[in-house]
Amino acid sequence: MPFLSFLLLFPLVGALVIACIPSWKVRAIKTIALCTSLINFIVACGLWLVFDNSTAKFQFVEHIGWLPFFNMNAYIGIDGISLFFIVLTTFLVPVCLLVGWVNISKHIKEYCLAFLVLETCMLAVFCMLDLLLFYVFFESVLLPMFLIIGVWGSRARKIRAAYQFFLYTLIGSVLMLLAILLIYFQVGTTDLQVLLVSEFSERRQLLLWLAFFASFAVKVPMVPLHIWLPEAHVEAPTAGSVILAGILLKLGTYGFLRFSIPLFPEASLYFTPLIYTMSIIGIVYASLTTLRQIDLKKIIAYSSVAHMGFVTIGLFSLNVQGVEGAILLMLSHGFVASALFLCIGTLYDRTHTRLIQYYGGLVHVMPLFSFFFLVFTMGNLSLPGTSSFVGEFLILVGTFQTNTWIATLAATGMILGGAYSIWLYNRVVFGNLKPLYISMGSDVNRREFWIFVPFVLAILWMGFYPQVFLDPMHVSVSNVIQHGAYIS
Amino acid sequence: MMGLHFIHLFENDFYALFPELFLTCTTMLLLMFGVVWSTSKAQGYPILTHTVAWLCVWSLVCAFGLTIHSPFSVMVSFYNTFVIDELTFLLKAMVICSATAAMLMSMEYLKTSMLNIFEYSILILLSTISMLLLISSYDFISMYLAIEMQSLCFYVLAASKRHSEFSTEAGLKYFLLGAFSSGVLLFGCSLVYGYTGITNFEDIAKCLAGSALFQTHHSFLHLGMCLIMIGFLFKLTAAPFHFWAPDVYEGSPTSVTAFFAITPKIALLGVFLRLLLGSFYDLLFAWQYVLIFCSVCSLFIGAFGAMAQKKIKRLLVYSSIGHVGYLLIGICCGTVEGLQAVLLYLILYVFMTVNVFTIVLSCIDHSNTFRLKYIQDLGLLGQTHPVLAFTFSCTLFSMAGIPPLAGFCSKFYLFFAAMGSSLYGLALFGVLSSVVSCFYYIRLIKIMYFEQPSQLITYGAIDHEKAILLGITSTVIVFFFLCPHSLFLWTYKVAYMFLG
Repeated sequence: MPFLSFLLLFPLVGALVIACIPSWKVRAIKTIALCTSLINFIVACGLWLVFDNSTAKFQFVEHIGWLPFFNMNAYIGIDGISLFFIVLTTFLVPVCLLVGWVNISKHIKEYCLAFLVLETCMLAVFCMLDLLLFYVFFESVLLPMFLIIGVWGSRARKIRAAYQFFLYTLIGSVLMLLAILLIYFQVGTTDLQVLLVSEFSERRQLLLWLAFFASFAVKVPMVPLHIWLPEAHVEAPTAGSVILAGILLKLGTYGFLRFSIPLFPEASLYFTPLIYTMSIIGIVYASLTTLRQIDLKKIIAYSSVAHMGFVTIGLFSLNVQGVEGAILLMLSHGFVASALFLCIGTLYDRTHTRLIQYYGGLVHVMPLFSFFFLVFTMGNLSLPGTSSFVGEFLILVGTFQTNTWIATLAATGMILGGAYSIWLYNRVVFGNLKPLYISMGSDVNRREFWIFVPFVLAILWMGFYPQVFLDPMHVSVSNVIQHGAYIS
Repeated sequence: MMGLHFIHLFENDFYALFPELFLTCTTMLLLMFGVVWSTSKAQGYPILTHTVAWLCVWSLVCAFGLTIHSPFSVMVSFYNTFVIDELTFLLKAMVICSATAAMLMSMEYLKTSMLNIFEYSILILLSTISMLLLISSYDFISMYLAIEMQSLCFYVLAASKRHSEFSTEAGLKYFLLGAFSSGVLLFGCSLVYGYTGITNFEDIAKCLAGSALFQTHHSFLHLGMCLIMIGFLFKLTAAPFHFWAPDVYEGSPTSVTAFFAITPKIALLGVFLRLLLGSFYDLLFAWQYVLIFCSVCSLFIGAFGAMAQKKIKRLLVYSSIGHVGYLLIGICCGTVEGLQAVLLYLILYVFMTVNVFTIVLSCIDHSNTFRLKYIQDLGLLGQTHPVLAFTFSCTLFSMAGIPPLAGFCSKFYLFFAAMGSSLYGLALFGVLSSVVSCFYYIRLIKIMYFEQPSQLITYGAIDHEKAILLGITSTVIVFFFLCPHSLFLWTYKVAYMFLG
């Protein structure tokens, strides 16, 4: 059963159907888009159920000839590392469509088309086992995202944000293209399964690693290269922020784990201090920056930067605990940050402002919302019992074994995270109402309620019983670690 | 008796150049038709522009059929002055297709801008013949004559809008600088001839074979080769020999600009490839540096020059200078992959340019008075013509080389070829300049979707010819990624036959 090509093609089929419907049939368009993405989600869950936990081999492998003469073929397949990203992607897309259900008023057809095409691109990134085609889809995510920010963004500054987003990521990734061509030139193929058993000279590894790093570090984003992120987040529509925080940031870390670490083991070890330093600076700097932001979305954006710092530390601790923690934190961040952006979107829909100073005392008028916001805020500061805690804990355990100081410094991030998260919650939800600014308040409606519920369940489930998520990863992660001979 | 012998002697040669001969006869017939008919009092002095244009299109279609059904695949004819092989086959097919496309997209332009001269189409046909001959030429003499014939048609075409000062200025400028570059080219040819006593391409290659081994420095030969290259680079609008291009392209009528931008590059590049990779291949390390320099200059000027432009035509000229820079990267490689990358890039570039110019030509308002001139005039095209704006955005993204569009496929292979020839610096520069050029391509998209124009212009509907052209080219641009295999294989075959 070609599960993966179904996953990849089904959104495109949906997009094709939608493209044929005249744009004034709004209801039909939305329903078809939502059904398409929900069916995709169900298929992805099915994939998880039939996934074989006991092997590190790529599963559901399919082979599609692309340029057979040049040895470039589309191999698609997943292992324990990519499985959950596929589930996460298929989960977030219907959420995005639901978020725009009412408050997207212009170009609804194009909105649905953009998200369905985006879904295909993102899924292709996560299951592509060919380096060049990975790059192609990694880049092509930019196009729909550029449109989403540019067309459905909220303010005049959105153009600038879309520009920045596009060019930053492009500059990073063209270097990766050259690196990929160099690899192809040496090995004669870009098939990942062949590349994993081929060796690169140490000098070349360093070069290639740096080129890949340029691309992934912008996407993650690591600190000096993060400028585009708060800008893009603030200007993007809520659904755009959700995808940006939920999936796009993971593309970079996924790339590190899938390509940089197993393909260039010596270079990865060599550059580990660089990654550690940048991540620590990222965690501390971004957390402190978060404290002085006045825009709700920027707070979450900067806290994302801090969390991704944790992830990169975990990945480059290069042992099983650290890497698994990193994957788990990526997943958890995909849920928590997306949910927080949804919360902010809920507020913005009602009040049309994102500045904190206008908010206060929301618990009096929006009790349900305050509850959801509380759960997600606790998730953001990685309270035990939420998903982020498991991830960060595993990362710290893993890092402690390789570098005590880094683990200690990284742990300060948890405290700072507590500081900004709780303070944010405090300012927005507690205190006195500010009726001067916020005159109307209505609690979450049914649609929003049912969007939030799965997020809460997922966060608590991952927090209390992470075993289900860790089991499929074990073999694949150990394989990556052993493949690079990182265990001495 | 003599006459019959003559026929037998050249029988195969005539078959080899049958498309050119056919087009020549057609041109003559059309010219006579036009001259006789349009001056006939009995018919009331009809304006034959449209009729002749369509007849030209059909004769080009016939010539295309003749080209692809040529009885020979490889042949040298007319006492070693013309050649046909896989490369000429590919390039000729491209030239004919692109000329047809240029004709089709200018149909409506001819009508609305009241360019009521039927000679316009005939000149395009004539220059197409000369380009076909140019592609086939295998000798300095035939090459030079073909280039001159082509240029002569172009000078007239550039100035064909007689009541416009810009057009006449463009014609004059083109004439002066074209004559200058032809002079340089001829001087180079004569130096090479003076040094070797040979005008045939193949003989030159044989004469120079192994010269790289002996480390001998033929300074006059090198000088001659350099001058020939400069002549060609002039005509290809590669920087630093590009100064004439923006003025000429801007001043010429837009349909002529489209023709200039699309077709002659194919023919000139074809013979340039044949010269460098065929005749002067053994001097690779001498000409490589010149080309690397020109390529870097073109990439730089193409990327940064376009940013300052306010007029759409000038912007497109600078973008085409940048694309020439990319093509030169491929020639620099001097390998089968390099040649293949050039051909691939050229084919996809033609598709993209046809698409862009069709869009530029179709932006005319309802009353046929206002045409797209400044890039600001594109404002809100996304709202008034969503499909057109979407097509344009796709093409621009493709030109910028964003995957998964067609432009990416050609670019990555080009960089691969450059890496294969150890031109790492050049590949890096090319990649970075492609990012820089993204700036202005995206700026156009930004204007189309997000900016309010100073005056609101609603453009009219698109006519059939343009709609078909747009449909074909955008389909190729968007979906080429899905099955690039056959084109890769074909270009590889051509490149391998030529170099391998």
